[in-house]
Amino acid sequence: MSLTAVVWATTGSLFSFGLAIVVFRRQLLAMLLGLELMLAAVNVSLVHHAGLFDDAEALAVVALVIAVAAAEAVVGLALILRMRRGGRGADAALLTELQG
Amino acid sequence: MTAAQVPWAAWLLFAAPVTAILFGFFVMRRLKPEWTHVPILVSCAVVTASAFWLAAEVYTGHSFDLNLFRFAEAGTWAVDFGLRIDGPGVAVLAMVSFVGSLIHLYAAGYMKGDAGFSRFFLVFHLFFLAMIGLLTANNFVQLYLFWELVGVASYLLVGFWFHKESARKAALKAFLTNRVGDFGLLLAVLLIVLQFKITHFHLLYLKAASGAAFELLPVIGVLLVWAACAKSAQFPLYFWLPDAMEGPTPTSALMHAATMVTAGVFLLVRSWPLIAAVPGLPHLIAWIGAFTALFAAIIAGTKKDLKRILAYSTVSHLGLMMLALGLGQVGVALFHLIVHGFFKAALFLCAGNIAHALHQPTANVDDVGGLQKSMRLTYLSFLLAAFSLAGVFPLGGFFSKDAILDAAWHHGGGLAVMGMLVAAGSAFYIFRMLFLAFYGARPEQKRAPHAHEAEPILGVPVLFLALGAAAAGLLKGPIERFVVMGWHGMPSGLPGLDVVLNLPGEPFLPHLNLTVAGLGTFMAALGALAAWRLTMSDPGFDWRWRGGALEAAFESDFGWKTFVDGFASAVSRLAGFTGKVLDKGGVDGLVEGTSGFARAAGAAIARSAQGRVNDYLWWMLAGTALLLGRVLR
Amino acid sequence: MSHPLTILWAAPLAGAVVCAVAGSRAKYAALGFSALFVGLIAALGFAQGSNAALAVVNEIGPVWSYGISYRLSADSLSIGLIGLTAFLNLICVVASWELEVSPWYWACFLALASALTGVFLARDLFFFYVFWEATLIPMFFIIGLWGSSNRLHAAVKFFLFTFAGSVFMLLALLALVSAHHRVSGVWTWDLAVLDASALGSAAPLVFWGLVLGFAVKIPMIPLHTWLPDAHTEAPAAGSVMLAGVMLKMGVYGLLRVAMPLFPTLSFDALPVLGGLAAFSTIYGALCAMAQTDLKRMIAYSSIAHLGFCLLGVLSRTSQGLAGGTLQLVNHGLTTGALFLMVGFLYERSHKRGLADFGDLASRAPYLAFFFGFSTLASVGLPGLNGFVGEFMALSGALAALPILAFAGVLGVTLAAAYALPAFQAVFWAPAGPGSVSDKVTDLDARERAVLWTLSALMLWIGLAPRPWLAYFEPALRGLVR
Repeated sequence: MSLTAVVWATTGSLFSFGLAIVVFRRQLLAMLLGLELMLAAVNVSLVHHAGLFDDAEALAVVALVIAVAAAEAVVGLALILRMRRGGRGADAALLTELQG
Repeated sequence: MTAAQVPWAAWLLFAAPVTAILFGFFVMRRLKPEWTHVPILVSCAVVTASAFWLAAEVYTGHSFDLNLFRFAEAGTWAVDFGLRIDGPGVAVLAMVSFVGSLIHLYAAGYMKGDAGFSRFFLVFHLFFLAMIGLLTANNFVQLYLFWELVGVASYLLVGFWFHKESARKAALKAFLTNRVGDFGLLLAVLLIVLQFKITHFHLLYLKAASGAAFELLPVIGVLLVWAACAKSAQFPLYFWLPDAMEGPTPTSALMHAATMVTAGVFLLVRSWPLIAAVPGLPHLIAWIGAFTALFAAIIAGTKKDLKRILAYSTVSHLGLMMLALGLGQVGVALFHLIVHGFFKAALFLCAGNIAHALHQPTANVDDVGGLQKSMRLTYLSFLLAAFSLAGVFPLGGFFSKDAILDAAWHHGGGLAVMGMLVAAGSAFYIFRMLFLAFYGARPEQKRAPHAHEAEPILGVPVLFLALGAAAAGLLKGPIERFVVMGWHGMPSGLPGLDVVLNLPGEPFLPHLNLTVAGLGTFMAALGALAAWRLTMSDPGFDWRWRGGALEAAFESDFGWKTFVDGFASAVSRLAGFTGKVLDKGGVDGLVEGTSGFARAAGAAIARSAQGRVNDYLWWMLAGTALLLGRVLR
Repeated sequence: MSHPLTILWAAPLAGAVVCAVAGSRAKYAALGFSALFVGLIAALGFAQGSNAALAVVNEIGPVWSYGISYRLSADSLSIGLIGLTAFLNLICVVASWELEVSPWYWACFLALASALTGVFLARDLFFFYVFWEATLIPMFFIIGLWGSSNRLHAAVKFFLFTFAGSVFMLLALLALVSAHHRVSGVWTWDLAVLDASALGSAAPLVFWGLVLGFAVKIPMIPLHTWLPDAHTEAPAAGSVMLAGVMLKMGVYGLLRVAMPLFPTLSFDALPVLGGLAAFSTIYGALCAMAQTDLKRMIAYSSIAHLGFCLLGVLSRTSQGLAGGTLQLVNHGLTTGALFLMVGFLYERSHKRGLADFGDLASRAPYLAFFFGFSTLASVGLPGLNGFVGEFMALSGALAALPILAFAGVLGVTLAAAYALPAFQAVFWAPAGPGSVSDKVTDLDARERAVLWTLSALMLWIGLAPRPWLAYFEPALRGLVR
């Protein structure tokens, strides 16, 4: 099995796990972790393919994604802490203001 | 002939009533309502004079038929209105105007003190105007116009005392039954327009004489007969006439005895060449007339209300007129129409005098009795008119009835038998009325102790009418000549009128046939004897033998009225169903249901947007997958 | 005057604006502008009628993208109907004089008159559609703000129902215009230029789309159920304009748009459309018989009357067209008078039911006279205006398809069965225990003047219909060959 295949398999499954966590889990913190997992998986795949195609711009994108993931994690955690402190809980199923 | 050559009298026929009505409505009604009758009586006199003048003109051969103005026009389709002054029209017009004027005079006395005096005279005169228009119309559309106007006037007059529920119901019944008949007339006129492109009588006569076959003619003929049956109260549409007695007596006398109800017969006279061209239709008319005449004569003998006896008598005599028409005797039918107008009006006004003396709107057999002494003039007039009705020689009714019986006798078969039975029946009911009202009082009757003779304004017209009824036999010759004058100048070969036109000088009213005359008088005597037996020699018989089922049968005209009421209530139930269930529930329910449907659909779709983030994420996933799939392919 | 037709439809609109800002003087402004409007249309009518060569007045303006142009034209059909609009508008203003309503009431009536005029003048289908929809807005407010107890439901139902029908009309118009563009390469909405041959096999769809839009307005069974609610809940003057003019828009649309564009299709559709029209004369009468509310009864009778108009128009015979068109005017006068009188009753007693009155003939003789007169005209008594239109329409229908005339005559017969019992119940029958007849005073001078005018017209058209028929003839001849 080539390295590319292994990378696809690993990152693909990591991405799917992350997606599953986001979609299926109700705790906001868990959803945040799932998001981070998805981003990490994408990063790994990007790094490998940057090396494969000798593409430096892809590595730049990796750096960008890491920065975005960090920022988004901070904002997400802040929001979750706000919800918990405000007594609203961190359960996605109970937060239904956008009900149609 | 041009419009300028139309004699003054013809214009006055219309101008006088229109002026009187407008003057009465706008001036008299406001200033002095109790004098509304003055301009109207003047107008009556003018109209009568004009009618007789025109009759003299026609008698000397100056009849005319002229279009005066174009009523409506569209492309090649047009309707013109005009005047037709000819024999049959002017003969009936003379009777209508003379009898009508006397009844107007009577009404001035009869309706005095009534709160609606002014309204009565205005509507009464409007009816008079409409009748004049009907008799002088020269085409079917114009005739239909005045026909309907007569119906409306009848509605307003039958319902004159509208505070009484019986009057309101009777007015509605009269109008709606006539409307059912007018369905036939309107459709017939429309079909005539379609088939012949014109509706003018003299042009239609020309077309009928041409011998060409017209496919729609049988339908037109049947519809015209249907319309005539409604207006002239023949079976099966006669039932509105007895109830129409709810109107004041002058109304009953003029409209429902002498004029309006004869409009149906007159319609058939005007359309005779068309009807006679349809094989079998005259025969049908004869049978309808004979059946109605007998049916109504029998029922007349069972009624207790004086005016209702006379109403059924009118139905019966209209049946005789139809019988005469059906046998092809147009002149005889017109002759009887005119004589009947005199004696029936006289009889109605006598009944009105009796009711007036009792201070009631109408009189019942139970309320009267032995009035011979207290109301001499009324008694005398009644006697004359009754003998005329029964067909006693030498009074007018003898000649007209004998002519009809003669025609029926010559035809033979069932019609002859029915004719003779009707003669007996007529004598029976009128003599029963005479005996019960005027002769020896029975214990069941109240005798009307305070009855006194009517004042002159009420008595004199009645007397004139009765004398007219007596002397009307003298009119036989002139009527003959009028009818010939009416068809004067017609092309030969006109169906139904060959006997008139192709044999000049031959009188077409049958000569006196001694067998028939004798048999007729014998049957009348039989009827009178039966009436004597049942009312005089056995007083109280009329009250004893009625009761229970028999009375119910008489009340409902042997079940026909029950059937008609059932039909009317079925129609109103259908209307209720259509309006409430079908439209409100069904059709509108579908429309209102769309809002409920929209709301339910919206609620169903809203279930996919509950505000849960996870659900939204699923949707996003699905959408992204779809797009990716599309892009990658 | 270089733009007479623009002035014609803009004048009432200007009047509406003036009324809206006039405050307490609004009704005087309304009266002034209504009278001005009547004067304008009368002047135009006389100028046009007296000169045969000037039979049609045209006004053509700029052309915008997609071929939308400002194109107005007034032949005798348009002028006749605008005359009816102006006359009824003035009558409505006079009849509503004593009502305490905001200035917007008067503004709405004038705006409605303006929009209706636009419908009758427009010859560019885009503007036709715009004016058509524009009539809905003032009417919605008239019903919704100044109507009776159930007014909101009725107003919304009226708006949505008619709007939905018009959407089909819009689709049909779009299809027509784009088909024309596809075939000829030219965008145009000009009614005189467009023709249906470009549509090919889609022609029936487009025809029925147009018919659907007009049918809701006429109203044709089974799309009629907005009418009873709208009429019942609208204020009296609103019902007069609704019944008097807005219903005529549907028949006008057929005459102006559908029938000239689709001559063979409209002829082939006669059994269906004519059958529905004939059926509605009977159905409307039967439903009217079952009603206990005076206004609802008159509303259903309108459905029956418009059935006669349709029968005549669809028959395409000269007498049918003339009679059906005249009947549009007749119905406006007769039903307008009846609605006004029911409005007078309602103003005095706040009740409309047949059982709520009684014995009014002795308390209010003038009202009884006028109501009886209008009832007889509506029932088709010869000598009054209803008969002429009905007779000619039925004559035309008989020539086209006999069974339709048979049903129509049945409808004429049934008409008396709902009208006379209602008249009797209100005016002749004695007042029952719950009756409000004591509150009903007779008509005052203003109300009498309005009804005398209407009654005189009914009698005039009934006795001498020929000049009225002759007036519409040139337009009808031009429309339907």
